[in-house]
Amino acid sequence: MRARLILWGIAALLLIALPPLATALGQPYYVDLARRILILAIAAISLNLILGYGGLVSFGHAAYLGIGAYAVGILGFYGIANGWIHLLVAIGASALVAAAIGAVSIRASGIYFIMITLAFTQMLYYLGISLDVYGGDDGMRLKSRSQFAGLVDLRDPVAFYYVALGVMLLFVFLTYRIVNSRFGMALRAAKSNEARSRAIGFPPYPYRLAAFIIAGAMCGVAGALYANHTGYITPGLMAWHQSGEMMFMVILGGMASTAGPVLGTFALLLVEEVLKGWTEHWQVILGPLLVLSVVFFRRGLAGIFFKPDA
Amino acid sequence: MALLFEQLLNGLQYGVMLFLMAAGLTLVFGIMNLVNLAHGSLYMVGAYLAVTATQWTGNYLLGVALGLAGTLVVGMAVEVIALRTLYERDHLDQVLATFGLILFFNELIAIVWGRAPLYSSLPPWLQGHIKLFAGSTYPVYRAAVIVVGLLVAALLWYVVTRTRLGMLIRAGASNRTMVGALGVNIKLLYTVVFGCGAALAGLAGLMAGPIYAVQPGMGELILIQVFVVIVIGGIGSIRGALVGAIIVGVVDTLGRAFLKPLLGTMIPPTAAEAAGPALASMLIYLLMAVVLAVKPAGLFANR
Amino acid sequence: MLEVKGLCKSFGALRASDGIDFHVAEGETHALIGPNGAGKTTFINQLAGTLRPDAGTIRFAGEDITRLPAPRRARKGLARSFQITSVYPGFTALENVALAVQARSGHSFRFWRDARRDPALTGPARQVLEEVGLEERMHVLAGNLAHGEQRSLEVAMALATRPRLLLLDEPMAGMGADESQRMIGLLSSLKRRQTIVLVEHDMDAVFRLADRIAVLVYGRVIASDSPEKIKMNEEVRRAYLGEGA
Repeated sequence: MRARLILWGIAALLLIALPPLATALGQPYYVDLARRILILAIAAISLNLILGYGGLVSFGHAAYLGIGAYAVGILGFYGIANGWIHLLVAIGASALVAAAIGAVSIRASGIYFIMITLAFTQMLYYLGISLDVYGGDDGMRLKSRSQFAGLVDLRDPVAFYYVALGVMLLFVFLTYRIVNSRFGMALRAAKSNEARSRAIGFPPYPYRLAAFIIAGAMCGVAGALYANHTGYITPGLMAWHQSGEMMFMVILGGMASTAGPVLGTFALLLVEEVLKGWTEHWQVILGPLLVLSVVFFRRGLAGIFFKPDA
Repeated sequence: MALLFEQLLNGLQYGVMLFLMAAGLTLVFGIMNLVNLAHGSLYMVGAYLAVTATQWTGNYLLGVALGLAGTLVVGMAVEVIALRTLYERDHLDQVLATFGLILFFNELIAIVWGRAPLYSSLPPWLQGHIKLFAGSTYPVYRAAVIVVGLLVAALLWYVVTRTRLGMLIRAGASNRTMVGALGVNIKLLYTVVFGCGAALAGLAGLMAGPIYAVQPGMGELILIQVFVVIVIGGIGSIRGALVGAIIVGVVDTLGRAFLKPLLGTMIPPTAAEAAGPALASMLIYLLMAVVLAVKPAGLFANR
Repeated sequence: MLEVKGLCKSFGALRASDGIDFHVAEGETHALIGPNGAGKTTFINQLAGTLRPDAGTIRFAGEDITRLPAPRRARKGLARSFQITSVYPGFTALENVALAVQARSGHSFRFWRDARRDPALTGPARQVLEEVGLEERMHVLAGNLAHGEQRSLEVAMALATRPRLLLLDEPMAGMGADESQRMIGLLSSLKRRQTIVLVEHDMDAVFRLADRIAVLVYGRVIASDSPEKIKMNEEVRRAYLGEGA
């Protein structure tokens, strides 16, 4: 426990020190890259709640990234720039859609759940494409960033970086509390042995649905930040391969561990960055690497540092 | 009326292509308990191989045959190299590994053929239209797709229910060790079944070529609709795959053709202009939600 | 306490339960025996709510529970153990039992407090672990416990839900002689305090523990009586005990 806190402290310090270091080295690009990774790590943390702890293999988590982003884009489109409203709507809309999708899909098990979550997210993707008002297939540029008057200016790349870092650390802590609470224990128990849970009186459905909604809402926040990060929204955020990458972020890092999704997001996106530097056809290398990681690297990166949680 | 009939046929044509995909996917799942996301990649491989082989040989039928054979080989190779180790793994691992395969195949195709869409040409005897009732016509090629698809469906039904191979397939699905004890080489059986599933996907892909664009990533778009088919039809069931595929094909096609004008009669045209396409693209997914609410295991659930 | 009337369940042509009548009085230990394939587990699964009967009624504590799902029955006081050991392998023994305590302590939509340091959960859990003799193993992962310990843990989890009726599906299955003796000791300590339905193959255990015995053959209860009378019953001897017991 103490060792973990120390490791987290070191990691947080490194991340806090990154912007001044990058500026000193004349490489401001790295602040941008790290910010993107931090935001997607938030999405991965939210997915880990249902995938890692809940055993719900959602292949549609990108939906909430898209909904969060569209909330910012659409509100901005109609001249509402208040960041708090953006966040509120992003969270509310994501939770609502997650409730609808979850209510239908969580009844189904295993492979059905995978296909259903994938299909519903694809539906939202097509919906995004057919919304010509908001740019359709091409997406649209944000009219303005979310505004948090007096508190922080997201146009300042370093300030935004610290916001992303703060939100990510907050979400790490939030998930940590949730998965160790009574709710979290009930959720994890249902993953570990569903028949046993039913027999002692836990109906899995309401706990899974609640976790699904919480995860959707958390990912909505990531989506809102991501829209501000790129200054651009596109249906591509909800594309199926985005969902697939998010799953890999969780798996590579180590499922059902607090640090896993963060480690996994850094690992995957940094590897992608390196491969992109080598060749335009980087996916032809990444694909087999991912296959190998599934076959041989079961426990993920967190397994190297920590004993995984149950 | 003639338009409705033509769109119905288009829906059927799309449906049989979905069926060819769904049949392969559901066979592989039912027998090997393997979820293969890369099934869409085999569809794409089939399309590319057939186009290229047709250009090489200058003969359409030869191109088709080579495309099919090529996809069969690619499928068996994928099974032996990558997927064989995953049968005992959970579905999550299978999904992730086959996701990696998709990235690989899409990029490989882009390296070899480029990212621009290919358009394949048809021999003269598949061009033109056939006459239907009351002066309406229908493209020969699409009619041929329907016929081929239905023939394959009949053949599949025969193989699975009436032959020794089918019996082994059904036995293998329920009892792997028993079939192994009967002296059947289960590894080989699996490889062959996977190859056949791949060939079915390849057939769908190469038939899709002349109708839709042949391009990297073409497989995933249809794959997700095939998932809808399987969820609606019930997994592991050939009959469910057929019924589900035709329902999805027809609903999707009719929705795209008629939903906008239909909405136009009820709400202002500008609103219909915006809502029509959006709703049409969501239609099959909403249908899936309804089926799930009523029959969570699909219409023809096997297990 | 428990009243089953005319319970039927078929799987295709097989009639696994063929009009079962079964009564359990408060405080008694009622054993259910029968040859393999008699339909004992099917029956238990219908009592616990994991299988829906085709016909018949199940009344528990005066209430019709025939259509209630398993978790609702559990919260009404029907606890079970499984024939094939069923614990949470990745959690410690203490956590396993604490989860059972948690299941009976109202809803679990509590998101903040650490459940593993909640004395309201761990306190009763420790107590139950002591009762079944696992207190020294409470921080061991359930998956790493010996087979007999896992079976005891299952009983502990069932007890921790404070059940009014305990359904035990072959608690001695797969146990060595020592482990069996310990389990019989545990169960006899529960006797009288606890109403028990015991499905068991081990005749020694059944005759030592049961107040009454019902004999299930081909989905029917062919006899239900005190252990002495069951021993004497001709039909039972023919159908069942004659097979080598």
